[in-house]
Amino acid sequence: MTGRDRTADRHECGGDVAAYALGALDAAEAEAFRRHLQTCTVCQEELASFQEIVDELPLAAPRHRAPASVRRKVMREVAADARRRGRPAPRPGLARRARLVPRPVLALGAALLIAIGVFAAVQSGSSGGTRVLNAQVVGPGSVQLRIAHGHGSLVLRHFAPPPAGKIYEVWVQRGKRAPSSTGALFGVTSTGRGDVAVPGSLRGVSTVMVTPEPAGGSAQPTHAPVITVPLT
Amino acid sequence: MPLVHDGDARAFEVVFDRHADAAFSLAYRMCGRRAMAQDVVQDAFLSLWRSGAAYDRTRGSVRSWVLGVVRNRAIDLFRRETVRTGRDISAEGVVERMPAAEDVALDAERLQDARDVRSALCVLPSEQRQVIELAYFGGFSHMQIAEMLDLPPGTVKGRMRLGLSKLRVALGDPSGAML
Repeated sequence: MTGRDRTADRHECGGDVAAYALGALDAAEAEAFRRHLQTCTVCQEELASFQEIVDELPLAAPRHRAPASVRRKVMREVAADARRRGRPAPRPGLARRARLVPRPVLALGAALLIAIGVFAAVQSGSSGGTRVLNAQVVGPGSVQLRIAHGHGSLVLRHFAPPPAGKIYEVWVQRGKRAPSSTGALFGVTSTGRGDVAVPGSLRGVSTVMVTPEPAGGSAQPTHAPVITVPLT
Repeated sequence: MPLVHDGDARAFEVVFDRHADAAFSLAYRMCGRRAMAQDVVQDAFLSLWRSGAAYDRTRGSVRSWVLGVVRNRAIDLFRRETVRTGRDISAEGVVERMPAAEDVALDAERLQDARDVRSALCVLPSEQRQVIELAYFGGFSHMQIAEMLDLPPGTVKGRMRLGLSKLRVALGDPSGAML
């Protein structure tokens, strides 16, 4: 019997899973449990399912808006770091500027936005500057593409997992060109949830799509899309 | 996230705007003090910016990753405060740290998710909800919880496991009913 096996034997199987998922074991106990996990598939599975629940617990917290001062401080430091590294800096004061627009202009803009919103409500909605598009899906579940500042993320609910040995891959299509891979590969949780950032800007993208592909992804789609979101 | 990894501040700005409210809500729920929650969120996002490489997409969503860092920062702060001032670690003290909600817009899907999680927690037996909340939002270890509730540590772990199993069933994974 190896040292690892003996550790696993000494460990009361399952007794620590919930406490570990909640981050409630002390450092030594957590380390012992991690060693146990390496050899116990039962605890691995139970931990994965508990982790999904623990990841949802923040939703139980009363909702608050992050103060603007926090955003200012964080983005000021980020911009300074980016300049030092010669990387693109954030657009200065974008959110601030929006609040300085004269009221009559805001009113006219709001009226226009309402008109556009009513027109677009059939297929999409918006919340706090985020554009939300409902995807066309094959099979059960629902998928939304949420777009903010030109970047998107797919939010999946009750969606089927990829077939055995496959993984979902995210593609973008520009005009009539062939779809190009974003490099984003993902699965869904046991309850069919997924939250996947679409890498890169969506400017010029006409369609975001998802196909099941062999593990590791493909250079070109090998299956028909199971998720399609037209952007135009 | 690959762009954040590459030091793209605009990509990071998108991540901030997408998750800042959830991060602040969690920090405020844990700290109960607005100024402390602001410090936690600020530290957490700057830490994320400076260590973008630490995100592993195979281990969960960006949101879970961000909120995990926020929670760890809050717990670090609790530990420093405990050393400095002797933090009130009674169960009542933790409950008092719960601030009232603001009117923050959530999209319909997230709003329903939040309602589901809150109602699932509400229907748990109080002794199971208490140990889960003390551990997750209070940042207490099972030994600290056992001490404050005058219970054997094994009982605390058992209540955590039963509570999470029931939440799993309530939130839609019927395999939890097998336990």
